[in-house]
Amino acid sequence: MASEDALILRTSRVVPRISPVVWWIAIVALAWLGLAHFHGNTVATLRVWLPLLASGLWMNILISVLAIGIGTVLGIIVGALELSRMRWVSAPARGYVQAFRNAPMLVLIFFATYVFPFEIQVGSLYLPFPDWIKATIGLALPASAHIAEIFRGAILSIASAQWEASASLGFSRARTLRWVILPQCVKRVLPPWMNLYAMITMSTTLASLVGVTELLEVARIASNTVNRTDFTIFVYLAVLTLFFLYCYPITRFTAHLEQKYAFH
Amino acid sequence: MPESWLPAFVAAAKSVGLNYGFLLNAFERAAWLNGVAVSVELSLLSIASSLAVGMAVAAALTSGRPWLARPARAFVELMRNTPTLVQIFCAFFVLNMLVSQVVGGPRNNPLTAYAWVVIVLSLHYGAYHAEALRAGIEAVPKAMRESAVSLGFSRRERLLHIELPLAVRFAWPSLTNNMVDLVKATSLGSAVAVGEVTYASLMIWVNGDNVLELMIFVFLVYAVLTLFVAWMGAWVENRLRMPGYGQ
Repeated sequence: MASEDALILRTSRVVPRISPVVWWIAIVALAWLGLAHFHGNTVATLRVWLPLLASGLWMNILISVLAIGIGTVLGIIVGALELSRMRWVSAPARGYVQAFRNAPMLVLIFFATYVFPFEIQVGSLYLPFPDWIKATIGLALPASAHIAEIFRGAILSIASAQWEASASLGFSRARTLRWVILPQCVKRVLPPWMNLYAMITMSTTLASLVGVTELLEVARIASNTVNRTDFTIFVYLAVLTLFFLYCYPITRFTAHLEQKYAFH
Repeated sequence: MPESWLPAFVAAAKSVGLNYGFLLNAFERAAWLNGVAVSVELSLLSIASSLAVGMAVAAALTSGRPWLARPARAFVELMRNTPTLVQIFCAFFVLNMLVSQVVGGPRNNPLTAYAWVVIVLSLHYGAYHAEALRAGIEAVPKAMRESAVSLGFSRRERLLHIELPLAVRFAWPSLTNNMVDLVKATSLGSAVAVGEVTYASLMIWVNGDNVLELMIFVFLVYAVLTLFVAWMGAWVENRLRMPGYGQ
């Protein structure tokens, strides 16, 4: 009987709380050591490419931060429009969200790259419109649609009695939103917003397909230039590891916040 | 026959400034339609195999055996925290190269870019499915599991006949969501020259200035595919619904 209980407890236990990041670092470090042993040259070659790889990663981070920034501002506006009681305001906003949530990000990046001009004319001035900014816009559009949904969901999750209560206190709808509803939304919005940021960061690699020199593109160029089996393995593993090291802490922190804010 | 109404459609599009002339070119039209077919096939294959991967990984995650659960957890975290495109490149440029070396030259390598994309998408979305199914398995009421134990069900029988059937029902909305994402991710196949609809369109618009026109078509294809998957998901959810369990 006791053993049966133990069995049940064991099977129903939550998944073991180990830190896979430790395992992963250990495995990769071993693999790299093995590779370096296999071909001592590899480490030296990697050192040559390291500055370029670092600048590639910087491009990924820059694009992701800009895209989530633009997406957040746009998304809050669209989300607020979606909640409008006027149909001719809410319907186009809903259409915007549906359109950009259902389109693949890669296709949106292609769209932004090929449909926008390569320079903008402001008066007599020609401003260049580089590909990385277009890719940023291509990512900001779906980001804004996702944020609009997150934001709308958070506002709807606040009890409707609060709207009535503040109306009875003489608040307008806009002021109720600003001073009563929004402060409570921040807590509910934060975890999904961070998840979205991790997703956008991972999607910045798509920019390599339209010729932006970010990390994956640099890795591809490096592996083609060096053209050696061990270096190719090395450099792609490095890209995988770098993204993991950047995104995994975000995911862990999000899970932590979700638990902390649950049932509030 | 399409020949009867196609010229009329192209002329009508021309009058609003859209150049759909490629539809009248039999070769380009066939290539584009083939791209749509490849997208559909890629989606269906990957959905089926990702569900299989998801169930296997979810079983490992909830097995209660650390030597199974820990690698499964590491796999899920790795898959969910690295970009799909990087995974595809790692598979196609690294693993494919290693496989080629083992079997003695790329000519003997049975794995194509298409196969690698199916494998990566199945593993990637399998990890997402596994997380949803794990939550479903953990949501199985304790009393039900205890009754199964007392009736003498083995661990595998419990998983197959009691936990998974309930977990699938519980997790189905999340699984449907993942499948919609998977359909959208098939566009990544174009990165390794798999001839799905994005790639087919790319091949056509590099030959002419009809990017916007093809974009509209591509968006429509993905809209129809994702809506179909979402609709099928809702239909299955309805079919599987059990009174007294789930929402």
